[in-house]
Amino acid sequence: MSEKTEVDLTGAKQNTGVWLVKVPKYLAQQWAKASGKGEIGKLKIVKKQGKADVSFTLNEDLTSLSALGEKAASVRAPRDHPFTMHSVGGQTLAVFTETSADKISLEGMVVQRAECRPAVNENYMKLKKLQIEVSTKPQRLTEQMDRAVTNNFKPVANHVANVEYEKKKKAEGRMVRADRQQVMDMLFSAFEKHQYYNIKDLVEVTKQPVTYLKEILREIGVYNAKGTHKSTWELKPEYRHYQGGEEEIKSD
Amino acid sequence: MASLGGSSSSSTEYIVRVPKNTSKKYSIMAFNSGDKVNCSSWTQARMERDMSNRRMYGVEETEEGAAGSEFGKKQREEARRKKFGIVTREFKVEDQPWILKVNGKAGKRFKGTKKGGVTENASYYIFTQCPDGAFEAFPVNGWYNFVPQAKHRTLTAEEAEEEWGRRNKVVNHFSIMLQRRLREQERGPDDDDEEGEKGGKKKKKKGGRGGDLRIHDLEDDLELSSDESDSSGGEDGDSKPKKKGGDVKGKGKKKKKKRGSDSEANEDSDDGDFEGLEVDYMSDESSSEEEAGEEKAKSNKEAVPKGIDEASESEEESEEEKQNEEEGKEEEEEEEGKKTPVQTKKKRDSSGESDTSEDSDIDGEAASALFMVKKRTPPKRGGGRGSGGSSRTGSRPGTPSIDSASTSNTLRAAASKLEQGKRHVVGGSSESPAAKRLKMESSSMAVTTQSPAPSGKSTPQPPSGKSTPSSSDVQLTEEAVRRYLIRKPMTTKDLLKKFQTKRTGLSSEQTVNVLAQILKRLNPERKNVNDKMHFYLTE
Repeated sequence: MSEKTEVDLTGAKQNTGVWLVKVPKYLAQQWAKASGKGEIGKLKIVKKQGKADVSFTLNEDLTSLSALGEKAASVRAPRDHPFTMHSVGGQTLAVFTETSADKISLEGMVVQRAECRPAVNENYMKLKKLQIEVSTKPQRLTEQMDRAVTNNFKPVANHVANVEYEKKKKAEGRMVRADRQQVMDMLFSAFEKHQYYNIKDLVEVTKQPVTYLKEILREIGVYNAKGTHKSTWELKPEYRHYQGGEEEIKSD
Repeated sequence: MASLGGSSSSSTEYIVRVPKNTSKKYSIMAFNSGDKVNCSSWTQARMERDMSNRRMYGVEETEEGAAGSEFGKKQREEARRKKFGIVTREFKVEDQPWILKVNGKAGKRFKGTKKGGVTENASYYIFTQCPDGAFEAFPVNGWYNFVPQAKHRTLTAEEAEEEWGRRNKVVNHFSIMLQRRLREQERGPDDDDEEGEKGGKKKKKKGGRGGDLRIHDLEDDLELSSDESDSSGGEDGDSKPKKKGGDVKGKGKKKKKKRGSDSEANEDSDDGDFEGLEVDYMSDESSSEEEAGEEKAKSNKEAVPKGIDEASESEEESEEEKQNEEEGKEEEEEEEGKKTPVQTKKKRDSSGESDTSEDSDIDGEAASALFMVKKRTPPKRGGGRGSGGSSRTGSRPGTPSIDSASTSNTLRAAASKLEQGKRHVVGGSSESPAAKRLKMESSSMAVTTQSPAPSGKSTPQPPSGKSTPSSSDVQLTEEAVRRYLIRKPMTTKDLLKKFQTKRTGLSSEQTVNVLAQILKRLNPERKNVNDKMHFYLTE
């Protein structure tokens, strides 16, 4: 159970008010490209007899679109975006932040909701057209195959894959018996990592012929025919040192 | 920041910045306005992820590390799961709900679930105003809807379904939670602290009373009669608008309790108002009600010591006796049977639950108990009782037919004799005990109908068959019975068992009849063992 993170309530206590603004996707992408101090544009608030008109103007340098590919050069992102304001009616919205160090703090309460809308003009329509073209492309394509799928095969004396396998095996040669002590050391280190091993896995690990390996195993290990670990080898009890951690030294 | 003055409007421009290097991730915490959450009133808050959805597959397997693990186990498990098409969703910590605890342990708890689809087509930004007047915009990472978590007791799905089925019948809704609490009390006495927290004002009151009530055995019946008055008194003040409901409440509570323990599918009926009164003492006036109560008590008893056939049988016996006694009394009172049809009906209704299959057999038969004993199956006793009662009360030409001979006639004869015996007794000793004894007599395979000798000796019941185990020639003689009774006290049923029809060569009715006569002659002593009437002789 992780400890609870104490929430820093300074924002709530100060009743800091923030705005929650819904921003179109392309605009958000442009904002992400902001450089330097991160200035993206200007917000203009005009107060007219109680009503407030808010609009946002995107910086010039951010209007170049690159997201949509080649055609993007001709189209530019619109610059003017009036904001539509909404009240925070049916919900009480609070903003909290989480740092990478898992510190949670309450930043404040949402006092105003707004939607950022692009000013409808020729430019914007072109942009939208582009977007639609991109999104209407189907995600799955039908392609024609050059070979038909079939399960009828011509009879073959020896399969290609098989032949190669055998060649590879021949190239490797038979496994050489290493020194008994060496093999035992290898086994011990293997058993340090896991308790139960299949004989095949051990062969792979030690690269020893099976009979030789089995001989050594019979000396230091025991075979589990039944039980949960079906047909596996494990070290004899006197050789084992499992204590939740691993120990290097094993009695020999 | 440039300010342009206008005639009646003022416009101001602010620079908007999107800070680049924030390590902070912004999220929205949404509360329903109905919950009236005021964040500024919070003194302290703790929040953490709710990890309860994490399926610890790793833990299910053996521990990682050396001990107990197999080489390549993970890969094999993975391959197996793929083969079977089991797709396990990855557990993403960021998508897990939040648990928010405000103002410590006693404060509110909220669970915040992540709302999907927020960042798909549009992004949300938080605009905060900096001290220098510029705005800073931060993208919102996630939206969590926080809902308050209930601390009070709620019903589980099964319980809710149960209650839904009863919604038309239940008037007293407070008792629903009360029952649940009581049940929990039974299961775990160490859950007391939970229960202490629970309950609004009304519930607390009920809870107190609820604590006095226990769902157990027969004590219920006794307790309830006293509690009933308390509860109904208390509740009247409590719930004035539900004045009528108050009464029903008390009884409903009673009923509920029984139901809770019995889980019988009984209907609520107004007749059940008097259920649960003491079963022992019957008076003429309340006979019908008590009968109903008897039935209920009986059925209760059946539920509680389940599977103890003997016990239930003997109870049935005793109750049957009582019922029979009532019937007898009624007959005494009105031979004509004016009331009896009514009584019959009532009895029929009340005993209706206990079987109807028997009725065909038992048309106009006598002592139901005797009859049932003959059949050797407990349920039949109830039915027999019911119909026996009916016959007794003379709805049919019962009395004369009782004497006529046929299969059940011997039983009837016995029963009629019993009646006579009862009449004697009724005159002689106090009604109830004698009646009880009489009842027990009749029920327990009693064939004897001789009136009990005075001085408290109960009517002789067929002496429970004595040992004489498996002798090939077990004759139903007085000597045999006497032997049995001397050796050990036995119930009539036991006695019957001793004289099996196969051995004695008599039919079951004959056996019963003869046994009854023998018992009459022997006049054994009576002893109550395990609520069963045993007979014994001392010579």
